[in-house]
Amino acid sequence: MTRFTVNDRPVQFEMDPRTPLLWALRDAANLTGTKYGCGVGDCHACTVMVDGAALRSCLITLAECEGRFVVTVEGLSRDRSHPVQQAMVAEQAVQCGFCTPGIVMSAAALLARNANPSEAEVKAAIPNLCRCGVQPRLVRAIQRAAAVARREEKIDAAPVPGGSGRIPAMVPDTKGQTP
Amino acid sequence: MAVSRRNVLIGALAGGGLALGYMLRPRSYPLPLQPREGEFAFDAWIRIGTDGVVTVSVPQVEMGQGVTTLIPQIVAHELGADWRQVAAEPAPVSALYANLALAAKWAPLWMPLLPSLADEPDDLLTRRWAESHVFDVTADGTEIAAYEAGARAAAASARAMLAQAAAARWSVAWEECEVANGFVTHENKKLPFGPLASEAARFSPPSTPPLRPEAMAERPGEFPPGGRLSYPRLDLPSKVDGSWTFAGDVRLPDMVFAAIRHGPIGRKTFLSDLDESAAKDMLGFLRTVRSPEGDAAWVAAVATDGWAAEQALTRMEPGFRVAAGAESDAVDTAMDEALHNADAHRIHSAGDMALVKDRLPIQLGYEVSPAIHVTIETAAATAWLHDGKLELWVGTQAPQATREAVAAALGMAVRDVVLYPVAIGGSFDRRLEFGHAVEAALIAREVGKPVQLTWSRREEFRAGLPRAPVSAVMAARPDTDGQIAGWRARITVPATAREFGRRLLGGAAPYEALESVALDADPMALEGAVPPYAIPNFAIDHVPVRVDLPTARMRGNAHGWTAFFNESFVDELAHKAGREPLSYRMAMLGHDPRLAACLQRVAALAQWGGGSDASGQGLACHVIGNGRIAVIASARREAEGVRVDRLSAVADVGRIVNLDIARQQIEGGLVFGLGLALGCAVRYAGGRPDSESLAAMGLPTLADCPAIEVDFIESKEDPADPGELGVAAVAPAVANALFSATGLRLRRLPFFAEDV
Repeated sequence: MTRFTVNDRPVQFEMDPRTPLLWALRDAANLTGTKYGCGVGDCHACTVMVDGAALRSCLITLAECEGRFVVTVEGLSRDRSHPVQQAMVAEQAVQCGFCTPGIVMSAAALLARNANPSEAEVKAAIPNLCRCGVQPRLVRAIQRAAAVARREEKIDAAPVPGGSGRIPAMVPDTKGQTP
Repeated sequence: MAVSRRNVLIGALAGGGLALGYMLRPRSYPLPLQPREGEFAFDAWIRIGTDGVVTVSVPQVEMGQGVTTLIPQIVAHELGADWRQVAAEPAPVSALYANLALAAKWAPLWMPLLPSLADEPDDLLTRRWAESHVFDVTADGTEIAAYEAGARAAAASARAMLAQAAAARWSVAWEECEVANGFVTHENKKLPFGPLASEAARFSPPSTPPLRPEAMAERPGEFPPGGRLSYPRLDLPSKVDGSWTFAGDVRLPDMVFAAIRHGPIGRKTFLSDLDESAAKDMLGFLRTVRSPEGDAAWVAAVATDGWAAEQALTRMEPGFRVAAGAESDAVDTAMDEALHNADAHRIHSAGDMALVKDRLPIQLGYEVSPAIHVTIETAAATAWLHDGKLELWVGTQAPQATREAVAAALGMAVRDVVLYPVAIGGSFDRRLEFGHAVEAALIAREVGKPVQLTWSRREEFRAGLPRAPVSAVMAARPDTDGQIAGWRARITVPATAREFGRRLLGGAAPYEALESVALDADPMALEGAVPPYAIPNFAIDHVPVRVDLPTARMRGNAHGWTAFFNESFVDELAHKAGREPLSYRMAMLGHDPRLAACLQRVAALAQWGGGSDASGQGLACHVIGNGRIAVIASARREAEGVRVDRLSAVADVGRIVNLDIARQQIEGGLVFGLGLALGCAVRYAGGRPDSESLAAMGLPTLADCPAIEVDFIESKEDPADPGELGVAAVAPAVANALFSATGLRLRRLPFFAEDV
């Protein structure tokens, strides 16, 4: 039984240790943000961070994860506040959203090691396939995320999950208004 | 569609709320979304809660095209809501949401003999058919045409009722109240929607919904790329944190996972081998479920996780036999034979037929190979049969047909199949087919637990149907000035739209559908074939061909090949006449100033260099319905070959509801079309495709995607779908650019199929 850390929590999976991480995350841990697109490393939709590096979770087995730190898209931030998440929403570099978690993780891993990536560096770091065609927006979105991470810019594009308090001006307050 | 009080129906709901419906519709349709505690319904479209949240029902499936934002945006604008208080919810399958615009467009599929009786959304015949068949299909970019009027009317009525509630509190005339930005105001008095919702629901809507003078419209100049958005997409925040749910993300207590292997594509397949003993000791493996023979034999393995299910199948080494498996060589032979010898149906013509008869002075052949959709999400469905009902979580463009197919397979009543609409991970019309839902339901019946079926990537290659093979002989008779006096297109293609119609609407199996329409004329398979140019004499012929390969719809549909034929051919004619390609086209567009404007604007955007030889620029334009596009591809020579490094596009899609979503659709269409121009082709032998991996598909990645710039013409015309224009126009633009750069004329899609 392999033990490692997923999104800051210690976990152990009662599964065949040859099981690729992707299926352990999705089917056992119910972390379904990591997507299955091909299972053989072509599409990068299943990209997660393992010890800070962007890896395709379909290509790494549970046994190989022993003792390592895995971060999935669910663990990137508690409230969509990671600069890549905010910039992807602000630039609308998302359509159907199926490849998005993988792109977000590839980009987050890039920014973690390179605070100011050039266009060529962004292109080299995002091998993810996207069929809806968000490619024309990705370089700008990821460079904008880098600027936010360097605190040169602020974005507030993606509201926090859950509706409560997201529209303060709309909170019912009829005192003094009713005749 | 005109909506008046006469056809607005008010009825009380159990919770004391209020609902508006249409009297034209039989009253037996229940309100599809019941308001929750503290919520009040306004027609089938809107619920307003006491917390102020306005929830809009979205009757079309979200697959990236932005419909989850567009319909709520129309409601928010008409209602006067603040965008931050607006939520969206997928609407359940209901006759209330029948897609009349698509039903009219697809009349040839359900009324093949007399489609002209039902080609308008307002036709009573169309309405009757669409409602009785619960035709809620998402396709052909019809969402605005189909639903804007109904959503606006409901929102305008709800706005009036909110104003009446506020006016009653303030003892003023309701007509003097304004509703904007989420508040009802009168002079210095101001109330939000929440506290007014329950009172508003007790008022009657005005006799005619008081529509705002201007429909929702975003002007191109006000929304530059990367600029601030007035209506950001509602679906994106949950897509960047992994919480947006696709069919394979559904999790139910006690759920098990299934993997599947399909027999080859062929007239009849049989499961011939399966070594069950090989999997019996596997951790997590539970059992197999078989559909051992038929038009699509398959075997599934069920396990406690999806990997164990896949591994079990691999170990069991399922083998299939196939009778008459699809063969690309035979398809090629049939296409070739038909192109040269078969009789044609004349679909469109004008002018003097003597000028387009027999051999014309210029004749050139073009080809399009079968191609597959290559969605990143593979087919997935979750099913649970219990207490006499089948619950089904699936992303489908055709929900009612899915329910009917599942009900038929299980011998159940359609009403006992409960379908929860789930978003789709890029469909491109792939999810107009729904065999996986039937498979999931059959497995669920055997397993007795909730089961989730996910196709592996290989199965998506093996069991997904491709778009049709097409070939064309384009012929022209130049006049003495080098202009085109006569134009003829002889297009050989299976009756692919009809074939799809037989599957979708007739429940036919793939080969049965193919057989039943094999030699029929299919005008839908030739959409876009009439050139947009003023050519006095032309004829467009369809040569139907029987190929032993079932074919499916794909984003762009017929425009995906007709634009390639027309715009490659007109470019060749310009070169033969020694004319500059842009002015050659412009000279024939006096009757279509909108398309001419797209061409002129794109020439400025791309700094069109006159299209001289070796400039590396190529031009194409196309019309789909009320939409128009012009594209310039810029290619340049590099050490290892030629590279398309820029695509510039200008579109006129009429009034635009959401500019950035329209831009996404054009950008995405260009990228998708580029994928079809460079790859996505498969060949079949023994019913199996020759490629089973994404890596072999030549898909554009970020690193090799050209720079793309998109601009729009400001227009007050009716909204047109931006989703397919880019797909259609990019291939000929790139072909023309490559000709300019290299002198090599590519007349086949994908371009480099011969070399691969």
